[in-house]
Amino acid sequence: MDRREVLKLLAVTSAFPAMPAEWVAAFRTIHAGLGSTPALRILTPHQDATVTAMAELILPQTDTPGAKAVRVNEFIDRIAAEWYSDEDRARFLAGLAGVDERSQSLFKKDFVDASPEQQSEILRALGEEMAQATQALADAPRGYRGTDPEPDDNFYFMFRQLTLTGYFTSEAGFTQQLHEEIIPGRFDGCVPIEPPTPSRSS
Amino acid sequence: MAQTKFDAIVVGSGMTGGWAAKELTEKGLRTLVLEAGRPIVPEKDYVEHVAPWEMPFRGKRDRRKLLQDQPIQSLCYACEETNAQFFVKDTENPYTTEPGKPFRWIRGRQVGGRSILWGRQCYRWSDLDFMANLREGIAIDWPIRYADLAPWYDYVEEFIGISGESLGLEQLPDGKFLPPMPMNCAEIAVQQAMAKHFRGQRVLTIGRVAVLTQTHRGRAACHYCGPCHRGCITLSYFSSVNATLPAAEKTGRLTLRPFSTVHSLIFDSNTRRIAGVRVIDSQTRAMLEFHAPLFLLCASTLESARILLNSATTEFPDGLANSSGELGHNLMDHIKGGGAKGIIPGYENRRSFGNRPNIAYMPRFRNVKEKHPGFVRGYGLQGEAEQEGWDRGVISPAFGADFKNAISRPGPWDFTFSGYGECLPNHNNFVEIDKNTVDAWGIPSLKIHCAFGENEFAIRKDMAIAGAEMLSAAGAISIQPFQDDDPPGFSVHEMGTARMGRDPKTSVLNAWNQSHDIKNLFITDGSCMTSSGCVNPSLTYMALTARACDYAVDQLKRGEL
Repeated sequence: MDRREVLKLLAVTSAFPAMPAEWVAAFRTIHAGLGSTPALRILTPHQDATVTAMAELILPQTDTPGAKAVRVNEFIDRIAAEWYSDEDRARFLAGLAGVDERSQSLFKKDFVDASPEQQSEILRALGEEMAQATQALADAPRGYRGTDPEPDDNFYFMFRQLTLTGYFTSEAGFTQQLHEEIIPGRFDGCVPIEPPTPSRSS
Repeated sequence: MAQTKFDAIVVGSGMTGGWAAKELTEKGLRTLVLEAGRPIVPEKDYVEHVAPWEMPFRGKRDRRKLLQDQPIQSLCYACEETNAQFFVKDTENPYTTEPGKPFRWIRGRQVGGRSILWGRQCYRWSDLDFMANLREGIAIDWPIRYADLAPWYDYVEEFIGISGESLGLEQLPDGKFLPPMPMNCAEIAVQQAMAKHFRGQRVLTIGRVAVLTQTHRGRAACHYCGPCHRGCITLSYFSSVNATLPAAEKTGRLTLRPFSTVHSLIFDSNTRRIAGVRVIDSQTRAMLEFHAPLFLLCASTLESARILLNSATTEFPDGLANSSGELGHNLMDHIKGGGAKGIIPGYENRRSFGNRPNIAYMPRFRNVKEKHPGFVRGYGLQGEAEQEGWDRGVISPAFGADFKNAISRPGPWDFTFSGYGECLPNHNNFVEIDKNTVDAWGIPSLKIHCAFGENEFAIRKDMAIAGAEMLSAAGAISIQPFQDDDPPGFSVHEMGTARMGRDPKTSVLNAWNQSHDIKNLFITDGSCMTSSGCVNPSLTYMALTARACDYAVDQLKRGEL
């Protein structure tokens, strides 16, 4: 059942006179195009290839699309162009350059040219450094707050945040991988978790 | 020429303005409702079903634009990527505070005001609240008791539709409820543990919420999409746009005028009545006047005080209707930011389905039967269990197909208690006109002086301690108590700037929300509150408004105004 059908059903259950399909259609028109992405503005072709390869390694194609198929790279470019402060952008791009430096020093080639095993080794090293940065924050004196500290300045943390956000908020990530629905239509607070199933819709 | 004379004028179209519009028009009065902001058309303006992939920043919000235009509003949890337009531009609506005493003023200027954005939790006051000032000798006594308001709670609840559970608690009277929403597995586990360990002294229930669980007065049941604060095309939650304004419209006696910013009220010193209202058309900047024999201020606690302070005359040099000197004083907001969180084990193979726009709630238990040594009054705890989502994978160093699938499944059940505590009235928490600051329409702005005191801080600390204690009793692991330093204003429950009371020397309004000084002036928004209670206040504001309208129309017809 798609959203339009659900809304129609909801309209039927309501005595409110005007909840017809043309509202929904109008609503859809208004919001169409919000998700379109312009050409890359920050990432160079090489940076774009590096970002795409790293993201796909973190969230690969399985029985559902991976990070590359949902174009996480375009989301990351948008954040770098329109969301990050100048400092954040510089830190992110420096971190990205650092990935190639690390790859060069270890394997004498850029990240995108490294083998999958070599690329994985680099991600593991980045992950270790991120964990150390997290631990340092946890050890530092801090306020008595409800949220755990996060290493916001760590490049790999920034990268993972954008990769996971870009993926799980994409249409495929949201509907096929998470099986989420915009309009669930009901609430049940305690249902058994089914084994993962392939996409519900064709 | 447009009509300028009406039977009644209501300033504001939000939570209370919508009720005033409905009550006055249904009682036969041709009513003008003045709204400073733009019109809201549900099918065009509501954005609750915009999918994350349709948002340019995927829910991370337009950070740079918010920093520039809405640095204060964007601190509010409800100010999201799709709905920031429901909050004012801070650049157009400045206010000032004292150094070291921040106040977060969260505002919505549009038809419906903040009723579009509210948290929808609805709880009645009891005499534990109405008699607290009297019992403790703090500030002044309320001029009304629960019995005065109970029938009006009934009346309002029956119209707006509140889903919830009756508990039979003296400190939190039951209302007229639609079927309650369900709790999830972890909440039920905590509920049962509370029953076992505290034997009725501490009770966890599902929130009493103005969201429909069945069709009610032509509005559809909730479809559990989740983000009510972006609007609701099925009108399932109560707002003035969704319910009261359409009811007023139906009478044919409503004139709703958006883009109408009230500058000040006009006082006639001969009749000692409000004669009219000065309005700036926020589009043309023209100064207009409208007249009526009855005026209701429903502009919000701080805006209503601002209008009266900006309406000073030679008779009322310190602000209109302010012979008591209490206008603008006794500003309160619930203290929040205290609580505890932990993981409830045992339900790893369970998940919830749908986005319930509601939380669980623990009614006040401090200073109900036994006196607490550390503070007076008390707090209610919102409690909610949520399963961790994919974002728990950000901080993990893992990657690859197994990682992708693991974080796509719901994670551990986190339960969080977070409190809303009563704030004591204090004459030194007040607002005044800042003569050096004007808003985008040239109207002098407020300077807000407000800080929590020792009693509030003791309450916040106890929220963390009691929250952790109860999570421990419920078998939670990884328990973390917390005390955040949220400043006043952040609960968006500001109230008290024109308090009710029996004595005109110490209060602004009488028992009917009527000005002691000016008989045809009523104030029914949060300004009127003599103390703050600890429950979410909108239901009480609505009941007071309906009651005040009933009285005002009766007085008008008798020629008493």
